[in-house]
Amino acid sequence: MMKKKSFLSLVSILLVLSLFLAACSGGSSSSSSSNKEGGDTKTEGAKTDKPKDGGTITYGIDGAPEGVFDFSFYQGEYDANVLQFINEGLYDYDKEIKIQPNLATWKISDDKLTYTFKLKEGVKWHNGDELTADDFKYTYETIANKDYTGPRYANVEIIKGAQEYHDGKADSIAGVQVVDPHTFKVTFKDVRVNNLDTLWAYPMPKKYYEGIAVKDLQESKKVRQEPIGVGPFKVKKVVSGEYVELERNDNYWQGKPHLDKVVVKVIDPSVAAGALKKNEIDVLSVRPADLGQINKLDNIELLEGKASIYSYIGLRFGHRDKEKGISVDDYDKFKDKKVRQALMYALNRPAMIKAFMNDKATVSNTVIPSVFWLAADSKDLNQYKYNPEKAKKLLAEAGYKDVNGDGFVEDPDGKPYKISFGHYAGPANFEGRAKAIIQAWNDIGVKTELASGSLIEFNLYNEMKENDDKSLDAFFGSWGTGYDPDPSITWGSNAEWNHGRWINKESDQLIKDSLSEKAFDDKYRKDVSVKWQKLFNEELPALPLWENVNIYAVNKRLKNVTMDPDTIILDSHKWSVTE
Amino acid sequence: MLQYSLRRILGMIPMLILISFVVFSLAKMMPGDPFGGMIDPSKTDPKYIEEMRDKLGYNDPIYVQYWTWIKGVLQGDLGKSTTHKLPTLEIIKERMPNTIFLALTSLFITYVFAFILGMYAGKKPYTLGDNLIAGYNYFALAVPSFIAGIVGIYFFSFQLDWFPFSGSVEVGLEKGTWAYIQSRIHHVILPALILGLMSTAQYTQFLRNDIIENSRKDFVRTARAKGTKESKIYNVHILRNSMIPLITFLGFDLVTVIGGAIITETIFTYPGIGMLFVESVSTRDYSVMMSLTMLFSVLTLLGNLLADVLYGVADPRIRLD
Repeated sequence: MMKKKSFLSLVSILLVLSLFLAACSGGSSSSSSSNKEGGDTKTEGAKTDKPKDGGTITYGIDGAPEGVFDFSFYQGEYDANVLQFINEGLYDYDKEIKIQPNLATWKISDDKLTYTFKLKEGVKWHNGDELTADDFKYTYETIANKDYTGPRYANVEIIKGAQEYHDGKADSIAGVQVVDPHTFKVTFKDVRVNNLDTLWAYPMPKKYYEGIAVKDLQESKKVRQEPIGVGPFKVKKVVSGEYVELERNDNYWQGKPHLDKVVVKVIDPSVAAGALKKNEIDVLSVRPADLGQINKLDNIELLEGKASIYSYIGLRFGHRDKEKGISVDDYDKFKDKKVRQALMYALNRPAMIKAFMNDKATVSNTVIPSVFWLAADSKDLNQYKYNPEKAKKLLAEAGYKDVNGDGFVEDPDGKPYKISFGHYAGPANFEGRAKAIIQAWNDIGVKTELASGSLIEFNLYNEMKENDDKSLDAFFGSWGTGYDPDPSITWGSNAEWNHGRWINKESDQLIKDSLSEKAFDDKYRKDVSVKWQKLFNEELPALPLWENVNIYAVNKRLKNVTMDPDTIILDSHKWSVTE
Repeated sequence: MLQYSLRRILGMIPMLILISFVVFSLAKMMPGDPFGGMIDPSKTDPKYIEEMRDKLGYNDPIYVQYWTWIKGVLQGDLGKSTTHKLPTLEIIKERMPNTIFLALTSLFITYVFAFILGMYAGKKPYTLGDNLIAGYNYFALAVPSFIAGIVGIYFFSFQLDWFPFSGSVEVGLEKGTWAYIQSRIHHVILPALILGLMSTAQYTQFLRNDIIENSRKDFVRTARAKGTKESKIYNVHILRNSMIPLITFLGFDLVTVIGGAIITETIFTYPGIGMLFVESVSTRDYSVMMSLTMLFSVLTLLGNLLADVLYGVADPRIRLD
């Protein structure tokens, strides 16, 4: 009898473990949620000239916030949703993602190294303290502190003297100077045109955080339960994993918000459509896969904005020498430009967007999303319109011919040529789109197989890319560029995230030029950026596929909502409800 | 019995060490780490990710990592959640009351229904009623809980508007007030009903079969011969005997109570241990994931012990030594 029991307990432990494994496979769908896809754009919701005061709206999020409510520490996108209501930065961006003043205006010194920021007067923290230059000094010193636990040091490291402060060799950051309570100067280490975009813009409340050691800040009650900011709404209550209740900030510097309250509430995506229909949720970011149901609701309006996210097929040129931190060019499959172009001509991208993305994406031939003012005009770029005949011709020109008559081309030396194409697992449409790409290449006679036989779990996939797994000759990828389209971090020759390991001196030089002192002239900067994009478009180190579209479902009772490419939480003090 | 319990508890130690090996290696074998899915050129920096991996010891040899972890666990330090940036123990403590509340409510529902259905079916075996109950049981076993959850939400929340569809409490209520308690109960009913009604099957069938078996035993015949009322025979004589096997379940229920309902909690956005567990797996939050798995294992072992001890208490025929 007792023997049987211990066997039972073993079985039960196994069950617990199998539950654990089952949960693993469930994880992939949430990881790929950043892959929003979509088409035409309607960025402005219903307007009203006479907004009524009062009312509560519910902003839905489909995952729980991690609970770190300070911009300087947060990581999760759900935390960002809350933060966008409660705090603001030195600058923000216009519709073309050009930087514009917000909490401060600035002057740039002649040597382009020193920026003098003049803060708006009368901007108050939620606890009534005035926002001052000291808050920014405190912010930079906190982030540069060696005990700092957040991920933003890269945004402060560019300031002169930050490294010395970080290493404990200086008592303060030499490059940050407070001139008067509303003026401060930041001196950078090097002249770079995107210094300002990189510089950390969000203040931390110095007085409010007083007495909390830097290493304890992230865990402190003041960051997690009672965060403050200078934004239009202030936090009333945080219920972990469930909701954050925000109320109107009467002292908001751009005027009193119309809404009394905003509740940021976690809901499961499976009940999203029902919750929208029942008016339980007023605003929700929607995945194209769920559009079918939501499209039919007559109390809901869909807003779409061009996302700064693009998808591409990466091609392998070599591997990364991790010790030295450089890319090594030792993989010949895609060495010939004509082969790469042939692979591009083989793809019918508009058809794929229609079939797998609810027609919610736009074909792209560059890796700077078109929403940026820096993006090249499409007429300057080769459009690579679907043309299988041209693809076959290019292959033949490159010497890739079917020698043994099996229907597939061999490489110029007559050896079999085969591409192993990888794609990560996720929503149902991923399978179809991976198959479509494979089929397109097989159709022009390039033998292509799905790497590892099936879609690859997202974490494993990332690991394989990072480690230059040989089974990924070609691989599907997506990048979000945020507000700074600087390509060096994803396409620079030695960049860690240049997963195809493309090495090109000309490209590196152009990227360098585009960030140089001369690039402070907008025209020059755009010229260089376009030149780089033309190079990319011609060389095709990766095949750009399409740009995604962010889609939000908004209840029609909510007025004056606009969105920029990345977020809908924009001027939320202007939002109002009709009843 | 004390000696027996102590012996069993000592016996758990090697088992737990083995489990900790398995838990740790399975966790580490999962592809990726907490930073794998985080790559976002606009927000993170490869250098930061490398630094964090170093700091958290992910680059150390595997046995060093295991040793660091197990040493911490033995000293009561479960590590820090990489997702929530808080000590793991704190997060588990925060979520525990929600889960216990939901689990106790659903267990209550399960037991009540199982008793009613099981006793009816046991009293009148092979009748239409019994077959219907069996049919319901198989149906409930077959329906996956996420379907049950969504259908439940659709009917009871969206169509009939009886219950809220998400969360554990209404927005904005202060802890401790009467309205707060009411709202908590209102929010727990639907998920608890779904969980409770779907898991009555094994209890019901167990009870039914035992009642049928017992009703053929000698002591029942004797009672009948003495002229005892039929209802008394079933409700007192048979039921008391038939409940003993159910005690086995009590041990497992202990895990259910603490372990939470992974899928139901997630669908209802009911922040408990189950939801935390799923989150921790998908974000590779090792410390939370491993702590919870260890916790489940310890509870399973303890639950078994408890069941065995209760056996001895309930049935004097079983002697533990």
